[in-house]
Amino acid sequence: MEFKLEAHRIVSISLGKIYNSRVQRGGIKLHKNLLVSLVLRSARQVYLSDPCPGLYLAGPAGIPAPPPQQQPGEPAAGPPAGWGEPPPPAARASWPETEPQPERPSVSHAPRVGDEVPVTTVTGVGDVLQGGEADATEAAWSRVERPRQAAAREAEGPAGGWGVFPEGSLAARRPCFCPLGGEDPPGTPATTPRTACCCAPRPAEDEPPAPPAVCPRKRGAAGVGGGPAGCPAPGSTPLKKPRRNLEQPPSGGEDDDAEEMETGNVANLISIFGSSFSGLLRKSPGGGREEEEGEESGPEAAEPGQICCDKPVLRDMNPWSTAIVAF
Amino acid sequence: MARRAGGGNDIQWCFSQVKGAVDDDVAEADIISTVEFNHSGELLATGDKGGRVVIFQQEQENKIQSHSRGEYNVYSTFQSHEPEFDYLKSLEIEEKINKIRWLPQKNAAQFLLSTNDKTIKLWKISERDKRPEGYNLKEEDGRYRDPTTVTTLRVPVFRPMDLMVEASPRRIFANAHTYHINSISINSDYETYLSADDLRINLWHLEITDRSFNIVDIKPANMEELTEVITAAEFHPNSCNTFVYSSSKGTIRLCDMRASALCDRHSKLFEEPEDPSNRSFFSEIISSISDVKFSHSGRYMMTRDYLSVKIWDLNMENRPVETYQVHEYLRSKLCSLYENDCIFDKFECCWNGSDSVVMTGSYNNFFRMFDRNTKRDITLEASRENNKPRTVLKPRKVCASGKRKKDEISVDSLDFNKKILHTAWHPKENIIAVATTNNLYIFQDKVN
Repeated sequence: MEFKLEAHRIVSISLGKIYNSRVQRGGIKLHKNLLVSLVLRSARQVYLSDPCPGLYLAGPAGIPAPPPQQQPGEPAAGPPAGWGEPPPPAARASWPETEPQPERPSVSHAPRVGDEVPVTTVTGVGDVLQGGEADATEAAWSRVERPRQAAAREAEGPAGGWGVFPEGSLAARRPCFCPLGGEDPPGTPATTPRTACCCAPRPAEDEPPAPPAVCPRKRGAAGVGGGPAGCPAPGSTPLKKPRRNLEQPPSGGEDDDAEEMETGNVANLISIFGSSFSGLLRKSPGGGREEEEGEESGPEAAEPGQICCDKPVLRDMNPWSTAIVAF
Repeated sequence: MARRAGGGNDIQWCFSQVKGAVDDDVAEADIISTVEFNHSGELLATGDKGGRVVIFQQEQENKIQSHSRGEYNVYSTFQSHEPEFDYLKSLEIEEKINKIRWLPQKNAAQFLLSTNDKTIKLWKISERDKRPEGYNLKEEDGRYRDPTTVTTLRVPVFRPMDLMVEASPRRIFANAHTYHINSISINSDYETYLSADDLRINLWHLEITDRSFNIVDIKPANMEELTEVITAAEFHPNSCNTFVYSSSKGTIRLCDMRASALCDRHSKLFEEPEDPSNRSFFSEIISSISDVKFSHSGRYMMTRDYLSVKIWDLNMENRPVETYQVHEYLRSKLCSLYENDCIFDKFECCWNGSDSVVMTGSYNNFFRMFDRNTKRDITLEASRENNKPRTVLKPRKVCASGKRKKDEISVDSLDFNKKILHTAWHPKENIIAVATTNNLYIFQDKVN
């Protein structure tokens, strides 16, 4: 359990670093971001493999659905092994989520997503920060909005990642979290209202000032500034995998649209995570609790009560685990 | 007078000078980012975050004051790089000087290469101590005379003037690096040099600025597969075809340019297997090599990672021949160091002139020396307190845990904002330059 908390903390710190690197002078430091992404990956692996099954279930269903077997490619004997306890079989890993949330099926896909492109996912967050807003709930949205606007106003001019971001997209735009690759099928079931797609102005961004250097995916071209952070949602690459995964449904009833949802939900998770970034931005560093609350309000459209929870850490394991899994 | 050769512990290090502002409030532009002696040791160059280069010159030894070697005084100051803006990528390019490398002296002028993240410049530093006087058509202040007023002719002559040191950029090597330049290294042929960024190494000719050869390219076709970056590179001091580069994964690759035009395949790979008992979240970060330096002899190379200094024999690839722990007490603090970003600090290391002692920096303004022969090490502090010229430095000790003895400092009271990243050792003498955040300390061995 302590490992999980530790991993949790490290993940949040890492994401904060990646976020801050985008507004640093001189552009993104590839080396540092690579190292941070490695830490992020290690922490994620520990997080997923730490055997703490039912402790922090917050959902109504209360029974963790065993996740599908992790891919053999998953280095299960990787960093967690060093902790002295070999990671348990993935099936026992922490999947506390059983609420009938649309993201659930994608949760099972997500490790693969993460495995495939561990580095990318990190940037995926960044991309969403740049391009995607949207949370499920209005409350979260307004919370997110203000710091974003502040950040955007501050980082005037292309020096910071926010500055280039079209200001209009913040307040005026309806929340939309199309992953930059624009892959979200329009039929993505609704965790998020998506009216006017804010993808349109993204091309206008052209070369965002500080795309996550770790993965300038699509444009691959010229390095740090190499292309807009055209990292499509992590869902793009491993699209095939979830299909296989569906053979063992992680939780009931979502198989049909699992595949469709997968991209959308991963993006959803990323945007949720994005809102937690705002938490990181506006709160003092290490204000883990507050971030989690802010982030929780994202997916928990159906559970508004959780926004002001008594045991933020345990509760927040829920959305955190799903978000982390998304990476 | 016999000077002891090497011997980090046989030497008694004395405070000599400190350069820089006294106040605690450090202006960001004043943060020293590189320190380098020239080949004779007479000149000492520093670069800072504000893009300036300051060169100090050693006074000629005063026969009367034989108790100390010449002091270093400011010789030249110039703005090497300015902040730039890449409009295409909307990226600001910092003016911080990442590295300075001196060229060996060929004539009266001195030449050095200085680089920021993107552009390398060759600077000529020359002295002017005479000026022509007695022009026929010009007044002394430069105004032109009316030719009709000229009634006699004279030959202009050179007259002495106050020494003026001028720095002028002779070459600008730009637009060859997409990523941030971390190293430059001049070849032993003194005609070419390499520059390395995170993913590529380019070979330049000092005379040619409009093109360079790419000799190493580790950029994967799919950036998602990126797993390591280049962290430092250096030419071999004697073999003009050999260079090494270190990676963020803790490996060093030695390449031979005769083997192929693109040296993606190494000739030798130096890597020490990881100790599994030390595995943690941060193992990868602390194994990243921050500096690599060949010994003067060319037989060994030294690498610096976060916690240790390793000496490698070029003939043995599977493990270093010597490993020195710089601040092992930090191993249990890696998480906090990750949080405050200290774990990403890039410490440099250096050899003394005889390759018998190596030196590197640490926190709390401490720096460490390791004597390879006696296997002894010493920790010293660069501090203005209690430091008068010729005061012998007192060895320091950090207490990792448990009872703290008198004069020891506990790990928790170390100041992690006071870090010594850049140090340099005079090529011939026991004179060292140690850069704290914004001050440059010069220490010498005690001269009897």
